[in-house]
Amino acid sequence: MRNPWGWVALTGFSLLFFAFIYAPLFVIIGYSFNSNPVNMMIWEGFTLDWYTGLFGLSDRATGVGNRAAYIESTDQMLAALRTSLTVAFFTTTISTVIGTATAIALARYRFRARGFYNGFLMLPMMMPDIVLGIGLLIFFVTLGIKLSLLTIIIGHCTFLTSYVFIIVQARIAGLDPALEEASADLGASEWTTLRKVLLPQLAPGIMGGALLAFVISMDDLVITYFISGVGDTTLPVFIFGMIRRGVKPEINAIATLIILASVVIAAIGLWLRSRKTD
Amino acid sequence: MALRRQSVILGALLAPVTLFLGVFFVLPLLIIAVFSFLTPGLYGGVEWDFYHWNYGRVFGWADGIIEVYEPIYLRILLRSLTFAAMTVIVTLILCYPVAFWVSSLPDRWRLVFLFLITLPFFSSLIVRLYAWLLILKPTGLFNSVLMNLGVIGQPLEILYTPTAVVLGMVYVMIPFMFLPLYASVDNLDRAQVEASLDLGANRVQTFVKVILPQTLSGILGGAVIVFIPSVGNFIVPDVLGGAKGLMVGNLVEQQFLSSRNWPFGSALSMIIMAVVLTVLLVAVARAKKAGGHA
Repeated sequence: MRNPWGWVALTGFSLLFFAFIYAPLFVIIGYSFNSNPVNMMIWEGFTLDWYTGLFGLSDRATGVGNRAAYIESTDQMLAALRTSLTVAFFTTTISTVIGTATAIALARYRFRARGFYNGFLMLPMMMPDIVLGIGLLIFFVTLGIKLSLLTIIIGHCTFLTSYVFIIVQARIAGLDPALEEASADLGASEWTTLRKVLLPQLAPGIMGGALLAFVISMDDLVITYFISGVGDTTLPVFIFGMIRRGVKPEINAIATLIILASVVIAAIGLWLRSRKTD
Repeated sequence: MALRRQSVILGALLAPVTLFLGVFFVLPLLIIAVFSFLTPGLYGGVEWDFYHWNYGRVFGWADGIIEVYEPIYLRILLRSLTFAAMTVIVTLILCYPVAFWVSSLPDRWRLVFLFLITLPFFSSLIVRLYAWLLILKPTGLFNSVLMNLGVIGQPLEILYTPTAVVLGMVYVMIPFMFLPLYASVDNLDRAQVEASLDLGANRVQTFVKVILPQTLSGILGGAVIVFIPSVGNFIVPDVLGGAKGLMVGNLVEQQFLSSRNWPFGSALSMIIMAVVLTVLLVAVARAKKAGGHA
């Protein structure tokens, strides 16, 4: 760098940029321990009431004399979490299988529609989620398919398959095809080569794709919002509903737990990635 | 490696994606196109008669009896495009310098800061927006700090304004702008920058003639990736925008969940889709012309 002051200014700007990204998350975490239920800006003392309240263990609830309502919403919240995990599990499994198969087909076979598939698979990722959400809603309703967990899983798979495809494809591009050629030359069948030579080398990419699919599925709000059945609220839709009804300290507690969970998942992802480079 | 020719296995590998996306992606989009030309029924259903006034209501033709042209729809559409464009510009201005800074760090720190950029992507979108609701409220962090410092006497009304919407979109879109930008900045040929300065070009000339052209693909890539989800966004304006921050996504949502006018909502979605496809086609055409992969 030729200009030390320019460097200092750039560093200052960049650190402010990171503060801008992280400050809001710390605001939520701070608020979640503030015992003042009315104005969260005014510190009234440390409390864990909002956390215990989430699980129906605390006497303190914010809706005045509304304890019963909060116990009910604890059950709803846990049910929403369960729904989210179920949906994410099946979505991850299905989209990982389909996405990986597609990536292998496009990387290892020559056929006329290859270019078409490569472009077409970008579309579900680029299509605004609201368009996909209402498209699926009209589709299911017109065909008389009842909105349920299954429809949410289908909706998530439509775009997550493409994400898995991209990640696995990137991994295949970095592989040495000589191994597969050797396997074929030594008499292994196409299927055996695929299973015993290609797939094991792809494992880190497949894991990465699956992790990404899981995280995005857990977080999807818009598509789920349009195609979830009455009883099948996922966690993001549940929180969205809570926020629409008004700001309550319990939301800070849920939000803090979600932030913590996401840091853990991201750390696992990073760990997997660092292992991959060994 | 010589690519293999068609085989049974190729068919087996491609069948799932073809069937799945054919039925659950292509068909739903076609159904939106069909619905956008159907007659809205009286009680929220549809009648299978051709009807073009769903588009007329937006773009300015109407029979004036059943369907009235309301300029508000066009205004909201233009507003959505404007908000999305502003989101692109602001994220670009914020991320561009930081990309240079991160790429100039020693390896170890570079990885740390790259991790810090991607981390919010793993945490919930709705939670991150909710944080801004807390910050921008009249009694929220932002106003309290400014009032305590004596900068302002009255709380500023930021929440439920267009500013809040653009701020919220910028916040959630930052990683999407940063990563493509960073990739192109990191590939920048530093020797050329040095050469340009040594040979007497000033900073501005060096930037315009050397740095900008080499990072253009990252800038355009980031712009497309940020613009597209911003145009149809309805969560950010729902949480942070009031009536003045309403975007076309909110209109679509209303048509489906409260007004129950599915054909009109479908027409609005078709317009969003048309905008997105136009942007994508332009981007692809440009990438092909540049000969690289943007």
